[in-house]
Order: sequence, then structure tokens, then C-alpha cells
Amino acid sequence: MVSSTKIRTQDLCFYYHRQQVLHDISLDFPAHQITAISGPSGSGKSTFLMILNRLWEEIEGCSISGNVAMELDGELQDITSRALSARILRRKVGMVFQQPNPLPMSIFKNIAFPLRLASITDKNQVRHAVENALRQVQLWDEVKERLNDDGRLLSGGQQQRLCLARALILRPEVLLLDEPTSSLDPEASAAIEELLLSLKSQCTLIMVSHYQDQIQRIADLRFEIREGRFISSRSDCDGGNARRQT
Amino acid sequence: MDRPHSFTEYIFLTAAVCSGLLTAAVFLFLLIFSLPLLQNGELTDLLLSSWAPDKGMYGIYPMLMASLTLACLSLVISFPLSLGCSFVISALAPARLRRFLLSMVRLMTGIPTVVYSFAALFLLVPFMRNILGHGSGMSILTAAPVLALLIAPTMIIFFVGSFEKVPLSATLAVDALGGNPIQKLLYVMIPQAWPGIINGVLLGFGRAMGDTMISLMLAGNSVSAFNSLSQSARSLTAHIALVMAFDFDSMEFKSIFVCGLLLYIFTAILMLLLRMSTLCLSGKR
Repeated sequence: MVSSTKIRTQDLCFYYHRQQVLHDISLDFPAHQITAISGPSGSGKSTFLMILNRLWEEIEGCSISGNVAMELDGELQDITSRALSARILRRKVGMVFQQPNPLPMSIFKNIAFPLRLASITDKNQVRHAVENALRQVQLWDEVKERLNDDGRLLSGGQQQRLCLARALILRPEVLLLDEPTSSLDPEASAAIEELLLSLKSQCTLIMVSHYQDQIQRIADLRFEIREGRFISSRSDCDGGNARRQT
Repeated sequence: MDRPHSFTEYIFLTAAVCSGLLTAAVFLFLLIFSLPLLQNGELTDLLLSSWAPDKGMYGIYPMLMASLTLACLSLVISFPLSLGCSFVISALAPARLRRFLLSMVRLMTGIPTVVYSFAALFLLVPFMRNILGHGSGMSILTAAPVLALLIAPTMIIFFVGSFEKVPLSATLAVDALGGNPIQKLLYVMIPQAWPGIINGVLLGFGRAMGDTMISLMLAGNSVSAFNSLSQSARSLTAHIALVMAFDFDSMEFKSIFVCGLLLYIFTAILMLLLRMSTLCLSGKR
């Protein structure tokens, strides 16, 4: 597969209450690949992810400068532009957080929530989409008997897969993952990693991770950020092996 | 535990016990002074008859009803307003407007009730007199909106506080899924914050029930039972304030201890409900 550029950032700077957090980040992210962003804690990795779905706009005191272009619906768009609504962007750019964050509602409603937000109410369509999303994250068999239970009663690994299913139900073009396995045990982590590899054909994945072995296992490309500055990129991750396994 | 620490704790414990005892002492004081009336089996008379001291009737039924009506009506006016205001402050307005609104609401809590009443006396009372077409313009309908204004800041601050307690992870999850502020409010913030909303309502109701100055100055203080909201009425609190002027030894004066006792018990029950609801609801979550 020839991978084109899905996301391009140019001279991207980020400020939090006038303090500069990211400095002149210019990077290209290839489509349909897993790009890992690594670096020490507090270096601005998660902040970088929040720029890609404009989530930073919900946090007081943040501002950015520079350009972020993303190929959406086959067309390169400036995602920082006011002309593009953040809500529309976020339906195309899914996000999974470090801590699983199921909403205070049933498993079914959690997964169906993005459809509800997008005003998709056809019951059959919703049920079908929920089942598909749950099957995709291999959670269906575990929860099909208790779809009406509170989503917060699942185990940590199940919760994270639920959040992944929720992020996938609108079929996003880009999936942002903020240390998606850091709160999980090795077995649950392995299941999530396996899943992420299988998602490459569907979307472009950008993953913040500080586990070198994880990056080795699943990432095709790795960018390192230190103190808000881009340090190095390496494409010698073992992503090739991972690809062969799938 | 080291000594200075336990000494400090001892002082705090004494202070806490003293304030607890003081509350109990007020109750005992009211009970003792109410006893003569209560022992004569006049409680039902007091609760159910009307106030006509010249005929030997010291009933507080009209006042009790006036207090409850005023409190309920002001809550009906104030609740939707306060909830809407707290939505704007917590989710809908831009950050600067939020801060401005919240500081205005906080300022409102500090305004003495007599100021509200005085302003309403000059602005609202003549207006109501014209609208109603009869009487002095002082009525339940005149006092209720002002009372609503009085309890609104208490409720708003409580509501905003409970919205703020909704974890950022939950609201960010909705944002990240492409939800708008109203969807965030409806699907995540209200379901998570409603124990706080109930507490705010109970607290607002208690404040409306306990306020004296507004009903005293604006409701008209008529002792007869009212048939419509446009009529003048006297709340329990205003009644206590007015009867205070009577001779200490008179039955009139003694009867207001029963009023005080009723208000005390009512507030205590409300606070207990509040505690229980908070405990139950937070336990469930």
C-alpha cells in the first residue's frame, strides 16, 4: 500500500496561559499507518493529540499558531479554520483517552452515544451499528447478555475496548490514542494492540505511548517530542513484522 | 498523635460540641416556652384555627398556609430561572461571561433582603396595584417574585457547584465525540449532577420559608385566610416579627414560640432530608 500523507502540521505552536508548550512542530503523518508519539511525561504529547481534534478549544486558556492540514473526505482541509466546525471534525477524528472514560449510562447507550449526538435515531440502524462496533473490538461475546448494565461496571480492559468501540462507531478517518493501554494489564494491552493493528486498513492511527516495546511491536513510524520540541523520527520500528503477522 | 495536635483538636472539638449544644438549647428554649400552650391540648387549635386574639383564638393556620404558598410559588418561579442560569454559567457561555455572571450571582447573595424589599416596595407594589385593580398592591403575588430573586443565587451557586463536580473526563469524552454543549448538559452533566440539584432546591425552599423581611414588607400581613394569590397574607416569620411587639406575658406572645418551634422542626426535617438524599444518592453512584 502506498501511503499518502493524512495529516501535515507546519510550524505548529501551542500555548497554555501564554506559556509555550509546543514549539514549531512540522510533521507529516502517513495515512493508514500507526504513528507513535513518544517522549517523557509532560513533554506535550497529549497536547499534540488534542490539537488534531481541536479538543484544546474546550480547555480555558489555550491557543495555537501554525497550520494543521488533514485529508478529510478525500480533500486536504485546514482543521484549525473556523469554517470547519469542531463537532464535524471530531466525528471524523475519534479519540481514546488514557483512562477509560465510559459515560454514566448502559453499555449499549455508551456505544450508541455518538449516533445519538449525530441525530441518528433509526433503531435498527443503531442496534446494528452497536453490534458491529462491539464485534470489531471483540467485546460482543462478553457483553451481549448485559447490554443494559452500566458501562462503568466493566473491567478496565473491557472499558477501554468499549471506549474504542464508541470512537469507532462513526467510522472515523483518524483515530487518536492517548496511551490507550497504560492503565491495563499485559493481557488486556495485548488485545488492544491486536485491535489497533487490525484498524489500520480502516483509518489512520496516531498513538501516544511511552512503552518502547509497544512502539516496536505495532508502530510503523515514531516521532519523539521532548520539552515541546520535535526531536527525531524513526521508521525503523518493527511495524513491518507486525504487519506481516496480521 | 503528638500533644500540640491533640490540644488543637480538643479546642475544635469543644467548639463543635458547643455549637451543637447551642442548637439543641434553642430547641429546648422554644419547647419550654411553648409547653403551656401545648399542654393545654391547644396544638390542634393553634394549627387549624385562625388568628383572632380578641376572641381568644391564637391559630396560625393562615400564616402556615401563607408561608408554604409563598415558598412554593417562589420556588416555581425561581427553579427554572436558576437552572437556566446555571446552565449558562456552567456550559453555554464563553469563559469570560461565565466568570462575570458567577461573580454577579455571588454578589447577589450578599445583598440584604431589606434592600430587595425596599426596591420592590417602590417598583413592584404600585405596578401590582395597577394590575390587580384593587387593594394596596401588597399580596402573595407581589412577594413571591422577590422571594424568588432572593433564593435564586443560593440555588444557582449550588447548581453550578454540582455541575463543576462532574468529572472533566466525562465532559471531554462528549466533546471528543462531537457533542455540542447542550448535548453535554443533557446527557452527562444533568444525570451526574442531579443530587446536587435536588439539594439546591431544598436549600432554596428552606430559605424562602425562613425569610422574614420580604413577606413582612410585601405580602400585606393580613391575618385572615386567603382565597387567591392576589390577596394579602402573612407568613409565619412575619407573624413572629409582628407579634413580638405584644406584651411578654400575653397569650399572643406565647403563641409565637409555637410558631418558632414549628419553623425549627420544619427546617430540621428539611436538613435531614437533604442529608439523607445526599447520602443515598452518593452511595448509589
